[in-house]
Amino acid sequence: MEVTLAVPPDVVFVILATITLLAAILALQAKELIYGAIGLGISFIGIAGFFVLLDAPYLAMLQIAIYVGAVVVLILFTIMLVRREEGEEVTEKSERGEGAAGLWIAGLLAVSIAGIAALAGPNLAQTPPNAELPVSELGPVLVTQYPVPLVILALVLSAALLGALMLAKVER
Amino acid sequence: MVTLVSYIVVSAALLGIGIYGLSVKRNAIRILFAVEIIVNAANINFAAFTRYLNPPTVSGQVIVFYSIAASAMEAAVGLALILVAFRLNNSIDVRKMDKLKG
Repeated sequence: MEVTLAVPPDVVFVILATITLLAAILALQAKELIYGAIGLGISFIGIAGFFVLLDAPYLAMLQIAIYVGAVVVLILFTIMLVRREEGEEVTEKSERGEGAAGLWIAGLLAVSIAGIAALAGPNLAQTPPNAELPVSELGPVLVTQYPVPLVILALVLSAALLGALMLAKVER
Repeated sequence: MVTLVSYIVVSAALLGIGIYGLSVKRNAIRILFAVEIIVNAANINFAAFTRYLNPPTVSGQVIVFYSIAASAMEAAVGLALILVAFRLNNSIDVRKMDKLKG
């Protein structure tokens, strides 16, 4: 599928990356848990934009339908069920010391992965091949090349849903 | 110029944010946020690598398909567990969940 954009893809990429990363930070740092869930949803929409840039519109649709439509809504309902009367307890003070350590670990890991990728950059493909990747190819590949994982996925999905129901059921 | 490295850098940044959340946050729902962010960082990598392969295949997209389904299940079960923990402890602070400690 040929995606024609009025603005160059570099600009779109930078905007998407900024939105995604800032929303992810907001998801973890927002004072109210509800705002954090909304930040998570915005971050997922940004990632769906990356999938569109990567010629995977089906994945973008799946991302928005499942993550933004189901997971974030589920999280919002859970927050409403779990929230206390006085709101979320503020645990900022005890996070101080661990915050610095966690920031160091996470920063070092991310910088080292990015550095390795940048070093290997010349060996990696610079431009995507021009061959088209039709969306309609995904379905046949799913049922001809990977039929067993698909069935196992369906079974695990139903088992997980039953398990979640069992766990959340109120015994009386 | 958007290359494969650009996607890897964004994915690494998301992974870093997620690991920060995993190691620092005490609220169980926040930890679930962090897990979801990490899974999404991995998904970006799969989609990017499969796009830059020559000749192109959809195998990476299939893996992302399974990963999205698995992570939806994980969110459902995780949130059910958080509800149970809230009923038992009246709190979702993971540092207070020490009933199994000897």
